Amino acid sequence: MECHLSVRRHVVQLLVSIALMLPMAASLAEDAVVLVTRSDSSVEDISSLDIRKAYLGISVTIGGNSIRPIRRQEDDRLNMIFLQSVIAMSQKSYERRLISMMLKFGTPRPIEVDSGEELLEQLASSPGAIAYMWKSEADAERRVKTIRVLWQER
Amino acid sequence: MKSRRRTESTRGRRLAVLAAIVLSVGMSVGSIARADSPHDVLLFLSLEGFEKFSAADPAQEEFDVRSTASFLYTYNSDRFRFLGEYIWSDTEAEMERFQGAWVVDDKTMLWFGRFHTISNYWTTEYHHGQFMQTSISRPGLEEWEDESGPMPSHITGAWFEHEFALERQSAINFGLSAGKSPRFEGQELVAFDILDPSSGHDIAVTTRLVYRPDILSMNQIGLTASHNDIAVASDSNPNLVDLNLIRQKTYGLFTNWKWEDWRLSSNWVYFDIEMQYGAGIVDDEFFLGYIQAEYEVNDAWTLFGRTEFGEGEDDSIYLQLLPAVIAHRQMLGVRWDFADSHGLTLEVADTSRQGANLMHDHFKELRIQWSAIFP
Repeated sequence: MECHLSVRRHVVQLLVSIALMLPMAASLAEDAVVLVTRSDSSVEDISSLDIRKAYLGISVTIGGNSIRPIRRQEDDRLNMIFLQSVIAMSQKSYERRLISMMLKFGTPRPIEVDSGEELLEQLASSPGAIAYMWKSEADAERRVKTIRVLWQER
Repeated sequence: MKSRRRTESTRGRRLAVLAAIVLSVGMSVGSIARADSPHDVLLFLSLEGFEKFSAADPAQEEFDVRSTASFLYTYNSDRFRFLGEYIWSDTEAEMERFQGAWVVDDKTMLWFGRFHTISNYWTTEYHHGQFMQTSISRPGLEEWEDESGPMPSHITGAWFEHEFALERQSAINFGLSAGKSPRFEGQELVAFDILDPSSGHDIAVTTRLVYRPDILSMNQIGLTASHNDIAVASDSNPNLVDLNLIRQKTYGLFTNWKWEDWRLSSNWVYFDIEMQYGAGIVDDEFFLGYIQAEYEVNDAWTLFGRTEFGEGEDDSIYLQLLPAVIAHRQMLGVRWDFADSHGLTLEVADTSRQGANLMHDHFKELRIQWSAIFP
C-alpha cells in the first residue's frame, strides 16, 4: 500500500514538474529567428550567402525580384543574433562596411524600421523585401511568410 | 617662435559659422529618415589640433586648429544613382564630388561628373570621410591637390566600372575613367572647375584593376595606371616660366588586407614625368609609397603606424614645384572609438617636407582629433 502511494506521489510530482516546465519550453521554442517576406511574394527561398550579400549592400535578384533588405532597430537582442549568426560581423564592423559602400559608390543602405508595424508596411511595399524577426512573431502574422530559419537556440 | 596662423577670435567666428551650418544640415539630415526613401545622407565632422616642432629650424613651428564638416548625399533608383559630397572647413567650402551614374546592371556602372581619381587608392577608399580612416593624416602620396598632393585627386568626365565575378565569391573589378585633369598653378595642382570650363585644363585617363578574393570582405589588391596631361599656368610662379605642360604617367600597386585584428594598407606609385618646356623636354622619374599597419586591440582601441618613403624623390624636378609635399614620414598613433560613431585619435610623426631648392624641411608633428559621423 505504501509502495502504491509512493509511486503515485512520484507520478504527481512528475506531472506537476512537466506542467510547470511547459511555459518555459514554449518560451524556448520562440527563441528562433526567421527570415520573412510578404505572404504573396514569389521569393520562396534564399541562400545564406545571398542574405549576407543583400545586407552588405550587394545587389541580389531572385525570380525577377530585386531583394530589398530591412533592418530592425528596436530589438537589440534580435539585431545582435542576426549580425553574429548571419552576417558574421560585429555591429561596429557592419555599420562601417555599409557606410564605406555608401561613401565609395553611393550604395544604398538597408531600410531601417523602428517598430513591428513599420516593418510590416515595408514588407508589403515590395515583393522582394526581406526582414528578420522572431519565429513567434512570424507565426502570428498572416501578412508574412517564413522563407528560412536563420538561428535557433539549442 | 611659434606662428599662430589665426587669431582666436577669427577661429571662434569660423567655428561658430561652421557650427551653424552643421546644425542646419543636421536638422535636414534628421528629416530624411532611412525608411523607404531613395535619399540617404551622411555628415562627417572633425576637429583637429595640430602642432609642428623643430628644434633645428624654429621657422617650421606651427600651431593650428582645423574644423571640417563633410556632407554626403546619395540618391538611388533602379537605373540611376547620384552622389554629391560637399566639404566645409575653416579654409575652404567646395563641392568635392558631383556625379551621376547609369546603373547598367548589377555589375556595371557608368558615372559622369566630378569624381575622385580612381587610381588613387586612399582617396577612393575614404574620400572626405575623416571618421572612416583610422589615422588623422593622409599619406603625402595621396594628399589632396590643395594640400600639395603630387597626383590629380579630382577628374571631371566619365568613369566606367565593371565587376567580373569569379569562382568562390571572388571578383575582379575593372575601372576606366577619362576627363579633365587639374592644372598646375602657383605651387599646387588646381582641379577643373565645372563653372569655368574654358580654364585651359587638359586630359586625364586613369584605370585600375582590383582583385578581391571574397566580395563579402574588404580585402583587395590592385593595379593602377594613369596618364595626366597637366596644363601649366606659367605666369603663376617664377619657377613655371617657359613650362607649358607636365605629362605625368603613374603606375601603382596597392593593397588592403585584414587578418583577424591586424590590417595592412599600402600603395606604391612610380611616376614617369615629362616636363615640356619651350626650350625642350626634361624627363623626371621617382617613386613614392607607404605602408600603414593597424592593430585592433578591442572594439574601442586601435593602434596604428605608417611609414612613407620614396626613391629618387629627393632630387625630383617635378616635386621641387611642390615644396609642401610630404616626402617622408614615420608616424604612430592610437584611436579610441566611443559612443558608436565618435573617434578620438592621437598621432605623432617624424616628417620631412620636400622644401625648396632640394633642401628638405624636417619637423615633428603632434595631432589630436575628434571625428564623428551622423546619423
